[in-house]
Amino acid sequence: MDHRPLSRRAMIRSGSALAAAGGLGLGLRGRLSLAAAAHEGHPLAPRPGHFPAKAKHLIVFFMTGGISHMDTFDYKPRLQRDHDKAVGGRKVLGSPYAFRPRGECGKMVSELFEHLGGVVDDVCFLHTVHGDSAGHSAATLGMHTGSVTIPLPSLGSWISYGLGTLNTNLPSFVVLAEKEPYNGFQVWDANFLPGYHKGVRVIPGADPLPDVKSPVPSVSRRDLEARMLRDLNEAHLSARDADGLLASRMTTFETAYGLMREAPEAFDLASESKATLDLYGASADAPGSFAAQCVTARRLIERGVRVVELFDVGSNTNWDSHNNIDDHRALSRNVDRPIAALIADLKSRGLLDETLIVGCSEFGRTPWQDLTPRGRGHHSRCFTCFLAGGGARGGYSHGVSDEYGDAPAEDPVHVHDFHATILRLMGLDHTRLTYRYSGRDFRLTDVHGEVVKPVIA
Amino acid sequence: MPRTFIGLLLATVLAQAATARGDAPDPGAGSEAFFDLRVRTVLAEACVKCHGATKQSGGLRLDSREAILAGGDTGPAVVPGDPRAGTLLAAISHDEDADLKMPPSGPLPREARDALAAWVTAGAPWPEAAASTAIEGRAHWAFEPLAAVAPPEDPTGWASGPIDRLIAAGHREKGLRPVGRADRRALIRRASFDLIGLPPEPDRVEAFAADERPDAFARLVDELLASPRYGERWGRVWLDLARYADTAGDNSDYPIPEAYLYRDYVIDAFNADLPYDRFLHEQIAGDVLAAEGPPEEYARRVIATGFLAQAKRFGTIKLEDPHQIIEDVLNTTGQVVLGLSLRCARCHDHKYDPITANDYYALYGFFAGAKFPFAGSEEDHKPSEFAPIVPPDRMGEYEAKHAEMVASLKDQIARATVEAAAKADEQALAVAAAELALEAAAPEALQATAAALEAAGRELAKLVRVRDHGPKSLRDKLDRLEKAGPAAIAPRAYAVREGGPTDVKVQIGGDPRKLGDLVQRGVPKALDPAGTIELPPTGSGRLALARWLTEGRPRSLAARVMVNRIWRHHFGKAIVATPSDFGLRGAAPSHPELLEHLAAEFIASGWSIKAMHRRIMLTETYQLATEHDSEDAAIDTGNALYWRFDRRPLDAEALRDGLLAISGDLRLDRPGPHPFPAEETWAFSAHHQFKALYPSDHRSVYLMVQRLHPHPYLSLFNGPDASVTTAARDSSTVALQALYLLNNPFVHDRARRFAARLIADEADAPSRLRAAYLRAFGRPPSSAEEARAEGFLHEYEAGLAAEGMPAERRGEEAWAGLARAMLASNEFLYVD
Repeated sequence: MDHRPLSRRAMIRSGSALAAAGGLGLGLRGRLSLAAAAHEGHPLAPRPGHFPAKAKHLIVFFMTGGISHMDTFDYKPRLQRDHDKAVGGRKVLGSPYAFRPRGECGKMVSELFEHLGGVVDDVCFLHTVHGDSAGHSAATLGMHTGSVTIPLPSLGSWISYGLGTLNTNLPSFVVLAEKEPYNGFQVWDANFLPGYHKGVRVIPGADPLPDVKSPVPSVSRRDLEARMLRDLNEAHLSARDADGLLASRMTTFETAYGLMREAPEAFDLASESKATLDLYGASADAPGSFAAQCVTARRLIERGVRVVELFDVGSNTNWDSHNNIDDHRALSRNVDRPIAALIADLKSRGLLDETLIVGCSEFGRTPWQDLTPRGRGHHSRCFTCFLAGGGARGGYSHGVSDEYGDAPAEDPVHVHDFHATILRLMGLDHTRLTYRYSGRDFRLTDVHGEVVKPVIA
Repeated sequence: MPRTFIGLLLATVLAQAATARGDAPDPGAGSEAFFDLRVRTVLAEACVKCHGATKQSGGLRLDSREAILAGGDTGPAVVPGDPRAGTLLAAISHDEDADLKMPPSGPLPREARDALAAWVTAGAPWPEAAASTAIEGRAHWAFEPLAAVAPPEDPTGWASGPIDRLIAAGHREKGLRPVGRADRRALIRRASFDLIGLPPEPDRVEAFAADERPDAFARLVDELLASPRYGERWGRVWLDLARYADTAGDNSDYPIPEAYLYRDYVIDAFNADLPYDRFLHEQIAGDVLAAEGPPEEYARRVIATGFLAQAKRFGTIKLEDPHQIIEDVLNTTGQVVLGLSLRCARCHDHKYDPITANDYYALYGFFAGAKFPFAGSEEDHKPSEFAPIVPPDRMGEYEAKHAEMVASLKDQIARATVEAAAKADEQALAVAAAELALEAAAPEALQATAAALEAAGRELAKLVRVRDHGPKSLRDKLDRLEKAGPAAIAPRAYAVREGGPTDVKVQIGGDPRKLGDLVQRGVPKALDPAGTIELPPTGSGRLALARWLTEGRPRSLAARVMVNRIWRHHFGKAIVATPSDFGLRGAAPSHPELLEHLAAEFIASGWSIKAMHRRIMLTETYQLATEHDSEDAAIDTGNALYWRFDRRPLDAEALRDGLLAISGDLRLDRPGPHPFPAEETWAFSAHHQFKALYPSDHRSVYLMVQRLHPHPYLSLFNGPDASVTTAARDSSTVALQALYLLNNPFVHDRARRFAARLIADEADAPSRLRAAYLRAFGRPPSSAEEARAEGFLHEYEAGLAAEGMPAERRGEEAWAGLARAMLASNEFLYVD
């Protein structure tokens, strides 16, 4: 356990520092650094990584159900040519989508990602990712924890454990998921890591965080209760010689008051300009839209949240286009512009360098026809994921799949390698980020994983 | 003696651990590091037991360079630089025609043999640092029989009983002076939460505070142990270990309506103080015991094997991946009973503990010979393979009932068939009419008429199918019923059923498709050098395995592991800080003699858990105050040596149950099965998982818990993850918990009900405040606290008045505000 009790003095200092920061109307960044300083000794206090790194924050887009690589970013002209031909007993399905070269790098991107094509010079693709399961649940777990069987700590939890967070008034790892993904909470769980590293799921809407709104309507009565609670705790503590356990519980109440003040504002898009909202295609009065959640993701990392993960859809009516790959059109319309807008917005605010963006699915889809001649099946032996910002090499594509996009032809990247690379970009060495549990040192990458160095700028 | 065998296994393990460090450069065979990592370890673990200080078989010692060069009766063991000379390398080669094969139990692993050969070739260098001390063999303390303990007298007179004397020895060594005893009020609150997980009733607090009898505390402990609430508290400790849940944990998380039977079994077993050894036997082989009679024990014993059945399920197909189910069973049983994780040995010999892959598959056979229940899954929604809890000789009534149900279904099908036949005849006429209509149809009506004909034809085909085969839904039902037999309608449990003797092949690298040698069922040699136990000619042999755990060689280990758990729950810290890891990488005991003493007493008491509670709680050590002492703290900051009692937070269940008890809403009856949706409606899948919350005012141990979707409250307050065995819960305190205590409607409801209760029961503010303090904190308020609380109430009511609230509602509102502050305060959340 890395729990270090706070001294009472540190706690009181933290409370007054926060009050001062709020009262003086310091800028956001100023408040952040004060909050971070005040929470020295907090279990989520920021910690240096193993290496210097550009990326301070991580935003993960998880497209649930298995996004097709050869209909989006892995252009395969051979598929079109061989459409409906039998290859190895299976019938080829040509992509119905048009591709064209985009950006200075000339990357072929399909019409499904028209907007992302516009920022493609900031995006780095990995075309040969492969995983250990072609089942939704196991593969989703694998992409999040490295394990396709027993649940283990998630990527976000490992990063929170490794780096702490930059604002202890907000959770270190926030999950924006309107619907539940496969395997539910296990994909953001801390498992054996201390509980404060688990992802806090936020359901966009009126009450983004559980219990952040007081049922007591009057502010002055809330203050009376808070003062009464403080007095009870102070008296209790003073008779008990500043027990660190008691003091740190008291700190959590101060943090909770901080959350009650800061969280609604962090999740409220009312202060965003119309131009910004339009860039994403978001609207402040529809906080549940994927576009609005992308704006929220930016607001959260601006306020010091370490990891944000967004799920675009849940465990049904998702990218699982067994029957008709045309279903990808509506799904891409939902995510393309907001993701591109987030990249552009972060860049214009100078935040893209310090924010690593990851886009992935649990697996890709088959080059072959599936349940119908228009559908594609699950495909875990080769699929595409992307990175942007945070020290990733923009405008670059790593790994080459074969002519059909069926298997890696050059430079295969296992999910463990992908994880090792994400950790490396965040300044963490996947072989050194360990936690002793049940007599063994566990790692996100188990005993595997090689950093994919060419994708690092 | 087991030492040789442990040594051999350790050598295996260490040799592999050394070679497995792929990234470390391989030290040259002449280097000091090579000697330490590859040579010394092999000699220490595999050789010196018989060729060392205590024993010199064949006149040979292998614990120093001189001795090795001097050799024994048959000449020098090693000739430096010449691997073909000397007896050592020849003996360990285990060549068929060699005169001498060492170690006698079997050849060393290849890596170990290669290491010794390379070292001899390099001139058998012996680093200077190692030269002064001879190599000693080691045995792992946890695998040894219990050592006799003689607790020293305590000259200060503080300690009289053996536990206190062993603790006092630690105090003396460091110059610590224990603080005084906890006061009566603190003590009763501590003992109540500890044994029953609830705050003491105010009148009981007062009575105990005034009880002058010397055995007042002993009486209180007995009273609490006799309460049915005790099993609900301590049963939960076991349910954490047993990774208990009400769902299967597959990708759809199928509900298990019968799971609660096992939960209740555990609670009842704790209440009845079922001896721990029998408790284990029932959970591992209750189905076998059930068959031995008596019939009134049948159901209970079958239900007990829920411990095995609770293994997490995987995948989408019925009982897919049985090797993963058995892995869970082995890993859980190993960690829970013996403090040994076996999981690693599924794929390779354990790197740290002396468990080989062969050991793993020798144990695997016992459970491969059991039949596991199936809760339902994405591709097969119907649960099956459950264990009937009716003895076979009472199955008669279910046979009759089954026959009746089959007959009734057949009857329904027959009637439906007749009905369909009549309708089909009518429909045939309708089709004929539609054909005629089509022939006569005008061109503009052609399409509609054709469609009508097609529809009529489809309807006819449907009726003909029903006429010839009966309605599909009824047919399927009949099919299932006939296949399942009478057992399916008998009361059933999510438990295992006995199968036949089963030996399995090693799954190479843990891959069930790559099979190696067949392994006879047996036990790890590190725990029992025989490696085998006597097995019955029929059945899985699980009962023999279960009995071996508590009557065979691992008896001491099993006792140590359990008393350590009991100690941990009384003190908040364990003697062995890794309660489910007593292996080589586990923590060493902080008080080794204490652990030996407790384990011996546990066995001597007939494995009585309640006797162990009494023994521990009636010590001075348990009854110490939590107060601070700066001199002691300077010596032992973390209180590792028990100079005081550690203050502890309420856990999830104690907090919720405590809130419900204080507000007067806690229901103490036993709730029975959860209100799951009817089985016929189940069609859960990865895309549409089962997920439910069933609100309840019963004790938290009775809440429905899921593997895939943890209960939000329990999860927030560090409840266990039911996918794996939990020996020690996470203890983090996080801001989201504070938010819950400040703002959650459940807490607000409790505070409101608490306030209403105070106002209804007590006439004026001082007596209300006194009652509030007694209930929440177990003590009356001081006069300063009274003044502070009255000030709060006054100000709060003034605020309410300003908001325009009618006077008659203000009192309750203000008391609710005070109650919220009290119930979120540390004095309520922590136990002194």
